[in-house]
Amino acid sequence: MRVILHLDMDAFYASVEQRDRPELRGLPVIVGSPPDRRGVVCAASYEARKFGVRSAMPSRTAARLCPNGIFLSPRMDRYREESQRIFQVVATTGVLVEQVSVDEAYLDATEWVCASHVNDPDPLQTAMPLAASLKRDIREQRGLTASVGIASNKLLAKLASDFKKPDGLTLVPEETKVQFLRPLPCRALHGVGRVTAEVLSQAGLQTVGDIQDYAGDLRPLLGSFGPVLKRFSMGIDDRALELGGEAKSISSENTFLQDTSDRPVLRACLREQATDIAAKLLQSRLGARTVQVKVRYADFKTLTRQFSVEDPVVEAGEIYRLGCWLLGRDQLVRRPLRLLGLGVSGLAPLEGRQLTLPFPAPTLRTASGR
Amino acid sequence: MKISIAKEQLLNGLQAVQNVVGTRTTLPILSNVLLSAAGNRLELTATDLDVTISCSVEATVHTPGRTTIPVKKLMGIARELPNGDIDLEVDAKAVCALQAGSSYYRINGLSADDFPPIPVFKQSRAVTLGQDQLRAMLKRTSFAVSNDENRYVLNGIFFSFKDKKATLVATDGRRLAFTDEDAEIPEENQADFIVPTKAINEVNRLVGTVGQVEIKFSENQVSFAMAAEGVPGALIISKLVEGNYPNYSQVIPKECLERMTLPREEFLSALKRAELMTSEKSNSVKLTFSRNQLAITANTPEVGEAREILTFNYKGKDFAIAFNPIYLMDPLKALETDEVYFELIDELSPGVVKTSAPFLYVIMPMRMS
Repeated sequence: MRVILHLDMDAFYASVEQRDRPELRGLPVIVGSPPDRRGVVCAASYEARKFGVRSAMPSRTAARLCPNGIFLSPRMDRYREESQRIFQVVATTGVLVEQVSVDEAYLDATEWVCASHVNDPDPLQTAMPLAASLKRDIREQRGLTASVGIASNKLLAKLASDFKKPDGLTLVPEETKVQFLRPLPCRALHGVGRVTAEVLSQAGLQTVGDIQDYAGDLRPLLGSFGPVLKRFSMGIDDRALELGGEAKSISSENTFLQDTSDRPVLRACLREQATDIAAKLLQSRLGARTVQVKVRYADFKTLTRQFSVEDPVVEAGEIYRLGCWLLGRDQLVRRPLRLLGLGVSGLAPLEGRQLTLPFPAPTLRTASGR
Repeated sequence: MKISIAKEQLLNGLQAVQNVVGTRTTLPILSNVLLSAAGNRLELTATDLDVTISCSVEATVHTPGRTTIPVKKLMGIARELPNGDIDLEVDAKAVCALQAGSSYYRINGLSADDFPPIPVFKQSRAVTLGQDQLRAMLKRTSFAVSNDENRYVLNGIFFSFKDKKATLVATDGRRLAFTDEDAEIPEENQADFIVPTKAINEVNRLVGTVGQVEIKFSENQVSFAMAAEGVPGALIISKLVEGNYPNYSQVIPKECLERMTLPREEFLSALKRAELMTSEKSNSVKLTFSRNQLAITANTPEVGEAREILTFNYKGKDFAIAFNPIYLMDPLKALETDEVYFELIDELSPGVVKTSAPFLYVIMPMRMS
């Protein structure tokens, strides 16, 4: 069994502000756009959350919910710097770390537990002191609190860290993981967003327990994600930590001098980007499993859409074709674009790879073409 | 119900149906075999709700009737009994008394009324093939089906009855096997559908070499009814795979640059030996063609090296191509002809294996390092 920890800083941006400015402590701090302008909340202190303020909520709504909220503009450089220091503390544990974002990481303590030679039959329990000392070190050295979840995989560890916040430490025992998941809404599961949740809800599946009990095949509803989700609902997740090292993605983007929705201009732009990306792939002899497009509109609203294929793409033409297809599929160019980007990820070496029959792309169900 | 039946007959019947009996305990009756005695025959039926198999064997029926008995128990007992007749008598509580020579057993069964009803075909169409014909066609295609559950339309064999031809196709996205045979197909019975692998395995197991098989199909299910010399054999009923099969004709190369004629058995043995020098990580063999010669090489750092030379008539250009040896061996094993034709374009394009038999196999190469 693996031992995975999920570390999640509590209301990170807001907590950094409150630590730096003691006069803000105990007050509802909202980091994000000012309430009189278009924009959203990036982070809210726990005092502000009591009023229902959540991140990604329009600042205007936040101001209505929490009239006494103190709005601060984000200081990204400051948070990044703080993040680096926190990860220096995390590094002292000596275990494998996957940094997910500025304030979130997975730790794989499997080796650590083995090496600790404690004859505890439950390896998750053995990792408790490691988690507790990590939380203590971050608090003492950085003056910030973090919540940690411990479980046998990433899915459960993340849910566990979120279970009791702030300053939580939650362990999901292997024996009770199914019961732990039962009452949670479907959306709590990794990979279930608004759209998937809606599909599930239409099929009468509201909670993870509903998915656990669902005897039918989820594939007609969710495609290849169906069996994966079924496993997730039972607390089974064998995703490994992504430790980086090599490039994880290659991308290229252009901001237009003037916002445009002119198809020939956009196509020319995508084609050039695809050519750049294909050249870099060729250089490192890699293929890509996922192609992504990114668009930004005049109001800075930014959307990304991605598509994964079973067999890695390498050629500019193929990357270009998938990029165009994504823009079309989700009708992303219904208004002029300020920025257009194309990228690939899921990179893997091509050597010794089995080639596949040239069936037209949409004919075969692809890895995660939801 | 009361019958006498020869041990051999009972065992044959049980062996035909028992494969689909699951170990899942959600519905205990699915662990049972349905026995129906009437006339001078005993019909045995088992199902896992996806695939149902029935088979009828000779028996002396004293009192007709129906019951269900745990199949593993009945089979275990029957297998170990000495040859001879077995008497079976079932009471109103579905308890089955079994007697053979000096052996007496009482086996608790479940009422036949609780057994899932055998699927019926409302508006169905049918095509009849020779059992030997179907058997050969399955042998030439079934190895290529996909086991990747993400590609469930490929988890079966595509059947097409059109233009006086019965066509079977299987592919896993890396190779594709195609075969067809002339068949009598009434205009109104033209159709195509995908039969799931599980059902294919059962048909493969039960199809014989003499007699006919009637393939009946409707919107969502198919049945294979075997019969020889007027005696009904096994009946397999299965759900169809839902979805559209990919347009396979698109991936069959229309032309080739090099066409080689290779001795099938020699080619196969060389590949079998070379394959031993591959590993899961490095699972390719390289085929290097030069004047009148084919070199098959495998090289796996931690395992070793293989080099096989085949001489044959070749005047084309020198070139090399890599394949997964398993994918290359599969059709060679399934075929019986002395020679195979191997058609290639270049090291990244699909290769084609053909024979004098109605068979075609498209195989994608592997990228060489």
